Amino acid sequence: MTADRWVVVALRAYVALFLVALYAPLMVLVALSFNDSRIIGFPWEGFTARWYGLILDSPAFAEAIVNSALVGIVSAAIGTALATALGLGFRHEFRLKKVLFYAIVTPIVLPGIAGGVLLLLFFSLMGVTPSLLTTVLVAHVNWLLPFAFLVLYPRLSRLDSALEDAARDLGATDWQVFARVIWPAIWPGALATFLFALTLSFDEFIRTIFVLGGERTIPVHFWVLVVEELTPELPAMATAIVVITVCLSALAHAVLTRTGNRS
Amino acid sequence: MTGIRAGGPIGRPLLLAAPASLWIALFTLAPFVLLVAVSFWVSGYYGTRPDFSLSNYARIFQNELYGLQLLKTLRIALVSTLLALVLAYPVAWFISRQALRMKTLLILVLFIPFWVNYVVRAFVWLPILGRSGAINSALLRLGVIDTPVDGLLYSEGAVIVGLVYVYTLFMTLPILLTLERIDENVLDAARDLGAAPLQVFFRVVLPLSWPGALAGCVMVFLLTLSAYVTPQLLGGPSGLMFGNLIASQFLGGNNWAFGAALSCVLVAVALAVLAAAGRWIKLHRVLGGAA
Repeated sequence: MTADRWVVVALRAYVALFLVALYAPLMVLVALSFNDSRIIGFPWEGFTARWYGLILDSPAFAEAIVNSALVGIVSAAIGTALATALGLGFRHEFRLKKVLFYAIVTPIVLPGIAGGVLLLLFFSLMGVTPSLLTTVLVAHVNWLLPFAFLVLYPRLSRLDSALEDAARDLGATDWQVFARVIWPAIWPGALATFLFALTLSFDEFIRTIFVLGGERTIPVHFWVLVVEELTPELPAMATAIVVITVCLSALAHAVLTRTGNRS
Repeated sequence: MTGIRAGGPIGRPLLLAAPASLWIALFTLAPFVLLVAVSFWVSGYYGTRPDFSLSNYARIFQNELYGLQLLKTLRIALVSTLLALVLAYPVAWFISRQALRMKTLLILVLFIPFWVNYVVRAFVWLPILGRSGAINSALLRLGVIDTPVDGLLYSEGAVIVGLVYVYTLFMTLPILLTLERIDENVLDAARDLGAAPLQVFFRVVLPLSWPGALAGCVMVFLLTLSAYVTPQLLGGPSGLMFGNLIASQFLGGNNWAFGAALSCVLVAVALAVLAAAGRWIKLHRVLGGAA
């Protein structure tokens, strides 16, 4: 073999190793979720499904799922609606467009913990009692809005305004143009954005923890159990969360690629 | 309404941009101004009250405990970033040179673990590095050690391992995006001109891909800089970072004014990193990697 060939083989082996390192920890987690031991770890004490039974019987976990679904759907809907309107506005040229763009997207790169702290201060000074559909909802929309805009805007900017001109020439009002021409063309992109935003909301933790009321979302519920109790069913719960989030993200990913994501 | 109407996209731009702008103004800009203001307030026994005092900042910059904590945080973020760069670059290069089908498959394989909630992704290292974790159990079984090693978990090293695991995708992706744009003909041309494989890599590939590498570094550095979950779970007392210090002012203690000042310092460091990187790359490039 030539030196070139060796480099290729070594690179291949390295990439395989990298992927193993990426998946092995998750595999260990799944294995431990079936371990019949009160300790989260080894040795292997035999197979059991009882930890899954415990989770299925836990009203707190069921509540967390409902809470996450609720705040996810509402925040993703609000975020997608705001991003759609904004994206349509960005098809025009106007003053301060660039400033507005940076105001929208900069929060992505600023520390998430500061994003949580500033909402905590804001809401407590405003006298708002923390709860799922007030403070947590705002935190989630804050987090997903810039991503929703970045995903949706390229799809909107590709719309040809000649279509709108044609519809207007035929006597349609702006609302009619939106309902009959624009929306039929962009709804797959809006749906993909909604699903992507939903996955972001499901994943959100660092802002939520600061503006939490009585209702826990899935990551918060898991977190509280980890730091306060370290109960033996945690690997099973983590595996359940993995299954839920991977399925949801796979769906969002499929819709995103089907509807032609170019960003 | 009939008559002559202007052509072009529907709607008035300012009206369409208004809802999102108002949302940002009310829930991001106003709270941010408040955060800066509160950092000059004073927290006492009876709560936090308005003031114009530099005492919070004086405490941060005079008590060397906080300076050291910030330095340690910067060090952890830097080491994690460089480690992620070295680990991710070859993977991005390999994937970028595959045929379309294989490339799509590999990117999906790369993405799936990152769909898992990041609290869970940090948590998985507890049963791996812990006293009864996978590594100790394997070493015991192989007879390498007689008693479990304690130092694996609850250390700075554990935090770095966790952070690299949680955030590598943000490194791999922007590098992959720039490597993909490199035309195979350019590489052929270099080879035809007699460049050895390593020369092609260092003289052609690396210079063409550094904007992606820098974007990935900025992204991972900013994410690790403000980490809270990973150090809280894996760090123990010695591995705590600046984010944990901030959180403890709000979630544990009740020193909101001081916590606000600490938050402002963290935001200032993040903005400084962005500004420094912005000299070479545009912000939207970094964001392109995140989206």
